[in-house]
Amino acid sequence: MSDPVIETIDLVKKFRDVVAVNKVSFKVMRKEIYGLLGPNGAGKTTTINILITLLKPTSGQAFVDGIDVVKSPEKVRKKIGVVFQDPSLDVFLTAYENMYIHGKIYGLGGKELERRIKELLDFVELKPFADKVVRYFSGGMRRRLEIARALLHDPDILILDEPTLGLDPQTRNKIWEYIKVVRKERGITILMTTHYMDEAEFLCDRISIMDHGRIIAEGTPEQLKSIIGSDVVLIKFSDSQKPMCLDNDLDGAIISCRSVSGNRVELVVRDAVKTLPRIFEEYERKGLVIEEISYRRPTLNEVFIYLTGRELRDSLEDQPRPIHRWR
Amino acid sequence: MYSFIRSLNYFYTMVYRQVKRFLRARSRVVVSIVQPILWIFLFGMGMGGVFNFQNPMIDAFIRQQFNGLDYMTFLLTGIVAMSIFIGSFISGVSVIFDKQFGFLKETLVSPAPREIILLGRAVGDSLVLLINASIVLTLGFMISNQLRPEGVLPALSYGFVLSIGFASLGIAIASRMNSMEGFQMLMNLLIMPLQFVSGIFFPIQRMPDWMQIIAKINPLTYAVDGIRYWLTGRSEFDPMIDIILLMILSIIFLVIAMWSFRKATIED
Ligand SMILES: Nc1ncnc2c1ncn2[C@@H]1O[C@H](COP(=O)(O)OP(=O)(O)OP(=O)(O)O)[C@@H](O)[C@H]1O
Ligand SMILES: [Mg+2]
Repeated sequence: MSDPVIETIDLVKKFRDVVAVNKVSFKVMRKEIYGLLGPNGAGKTTTINILITLLKPTSGQAFVDGIDVVKSPEKVRKKIGVVFQDPSLDVFLTAYENMYIHGKIYGLGGKELERRIKELLDFVELKPFADKVVRYFSGGMRRRLEIARALLHDPDILILDEPTLGLDPQTRNKIWEYIKVVRKERGITILMTTHYMDEAEFLCDRISIMDHGRIIAEGTPEQLKSIIGSDVVLIKFSDSQKPMCLDNDLDGAIISCRSVSGNRVELVVRDAVKTLPRIFEEYERKGLVIEEISYRRPTLNEVFIYLTGRELRDSLEDQPRPIHRWR
Repeated sequence: MYSFIRSLNYFYTMVYRQVKRFLRARSRVVVSIVQPILWIFLFGMGMGGVFNFQNPMIDAFIRQQFNGLDYMTFLLTGIVAMSIFIGSFISGVSVIFDKQFGFLKETLVSPAPREIILLGRAVGDSLVLLINASIVLTLGFMISNQLRPEGVLPALSYGFVLSIGFASLGIAIASRMNSMEGFQMLMNLLIMPLQFVSGIFFPIQRMPDWMQIIAKINPLTYAVDGIRYWLTGRSEFDPMIDIILLMILSIIFLVIAMWSFRKATIED
């Protein structure tokens, strides 16, 4: 593999008494889509803000394309395109004007700028709205415009902070699509954050799971799942019975067990195919009737629970959070 | 040379943005033109009546109190300066709106030097304010016969220096603020006193001593006096001294603003 395009070494950021980022080290390789996955307050945005030169780290180092973000912020700024977590468009200007101003302050101009703006507005399907004032745009349209804008100056590195936060499923799919296309056609390196496991799993080549300012695990989605090294078995009992866990771990085959909604228990087991018959047997011996049983590979959510003992609460199925946050 | 052209480009872009943005917000255009006109008509005519005795002797005496101008002309020239002053200060402080609504981050991660971004902002807003002031002045020429057309351009250039100074002060303050709550407070605690202790509504020489001292350290005073000089030929101070002091103060504010804007992170 080539040199890392983004690298952080023991990055620490303290805000008064809060340690927002605590010794974070990771490397993003060229043309990779790398994800920082974690719940609210994990320190994802703070890490990003250091990389994009908006915050100075308390200690540690960060490099973008080999350039130290603290020593030469101007050089770093030329390399990156950023989509912030919070909205950053000028809502009193039109889509075209927002793009135009961005192009100009990145040193583009003339016919070339005009052509690129049109091409990118077309790419994010906003061409018909080019001359509309952004104030009247929906959340999804604004997000797409921000993505187009971040690509306008043809950055080597695209940084996306929660690109689909608060968007509806249809818009989210579109944005996923754009991100995949961008990587494929432009071959740029993408660093993104998300607290949606399904998003991280779908888009990212490699993921760091962050919690309380630390990276608690890193790897490809498959590698992360194999941390649990196991399958998830879901058992539904008939309505007349209380769901219960076995007091016997079947010689270590069952790793964990908990009751979940719908009169069910969820087991994490080493090898579902081999363990299922024994589970049946064991419950039968206890006089419990299993109504349904199924198993699947673990999700990143379960990896997160396994690592932290807590739920990575938000999934795409949950209520979207409002996109605008007041700081 | 190349980087100079590039800087010019960044500068022009920010001017473009500020002007566009201003024109889009129609209510702002209306307010910034209508407000001074209301002052001139409602306050000017009301007060003007108080100072009009239909007696040449008394009227001449009263004019003497107002640098030899009738009250309407005195006030009008002051209001021109006031509209530029308030407009530029608000434009500077409006950096805080960009902070809240995120556009500031977009400029802060761009490779354009922050000094140029800041200058472009200030000059862009200044252009708009000078155009507004010209509109107000056109009206002034219709209601006063003591104004000198040849003084309009020099007066507007004083206005330009004034606006750069107070836009900078606004930006410097806004760089340290992170909520809109402070906005209203600034308006009341800074703009109000400065505008009353500047010779816009009443002459400085008739103020109590302690107030005169404040007036003399208020940059706005020199803009009001200088603009009044060029528009009417009458003033309390030497217009050269006015512009020199105004320039020095504006440059100091500009340097402070550049310094705090360069250091601006999103931390505070
Ligand atoms: N400017 C700031 N001043 C003080 N504390 C801050 C500041 N920015 C972030 N924090 C704190 O740092 C921690 C990490 O915040 P950060 O925004 O990086 O988390 P995140 O992973 O991006 O979360 P989210 O999913 O909510 O965006 C939080 O506890 C937050 O309250
Ligand atoms: Mg965040």
